[in-house]
Amino acid sequence: MTISTESMDGGITRVLLDGRLDIQGAAAVDLRMNVLAGSSKFLLIDLSNVSFLGSMGLRSIVIPAQAVNRRGGKVALFNPAPMVEEVLKASNIDQIIPIFHDLGSAVAALC
Amino acid sequence: MLMDNPQDRLELDSQLAELSRVQPWIEAVANRHGVAEDIRFAMQLCMEEVLANVVLHGYRSEAGHPIVVKIFVSAGTLFFTIDDQAPPFSPIEHGSRDDGKKPASLASIQPGGNGLRLLRHFGGSLSYERLADGNRLTIGFAAPMKSASI
Repeated sequence: MTISTESMDGGITRVLLDGRLDIQGAAAVDLRMNVLAGSSKFLLIDLSNVSFLGSMGLRSIVIPAQAVNRRGGKVALFNPAPMVEEVLKASNIDQIIPIFHDLGSAVAALC
Repeated sequence: MLMDNPQDRLELDSQLAELSRVQPWIEAVANRHGVAEDIRFAMQLCMEEVLANVVLHGYRSEAGHPIVVKIFVSAGTLFFTIDDQAPPFSPIEHGSRDDGKKPASLASIQPGGNGLRLLRHFGGSLSYERLADGNRLTIGFAAPMKSASI
């Protein structure tokens, strides 16, 4: 599991996750995700290259999202694969962190 | 019917690091049976949730206890049995169920606790049996397979 970031217009930090967000993957990105959550007001978590998502991986998304939310920021999820999106929906995460498949709509929702 | 093929059995010690052995094992099982991608995903997900639950809660993160996973095929369904020697616990009877209500807010939700919910959602069939010295959970995936033979 790898993690990288891009700065976008509007003060958005795009977090690109790549790999399996399973127990090992979650452990690999948790620290960086929490650091980003402490320094970014608008977080776009790009799931395009996440091939697997389990409940421990969900924690790696929800905990930073809550931290951003507490500081008055916003978080959105971008372009999950169908099965990854089904995990998000089965967990009701989609009802509290919006999911977008169109980058422009995601950016508009954050700004 | 349980098969005797060694490839159809995986023995794990009760520590999270052992779970890294599960994903390639399931991939090999899925390859042998020609399992479709979405069912592979469901298998991987259910096994991770169940095994993590056994290690973290059943054995309370104490290494040195056995977990035995076996597969068998019956009526076109691929079954996984997970045996452990932890205190009695039925994942079918416990844990959060989806009540259909929208979560109140991001701040109000618990970050964890989705494992059993995901197991129920992605596991095709679930059955629990209390063994003399532990627990057996059986998960079935009614998957369209290229071949059901082993």
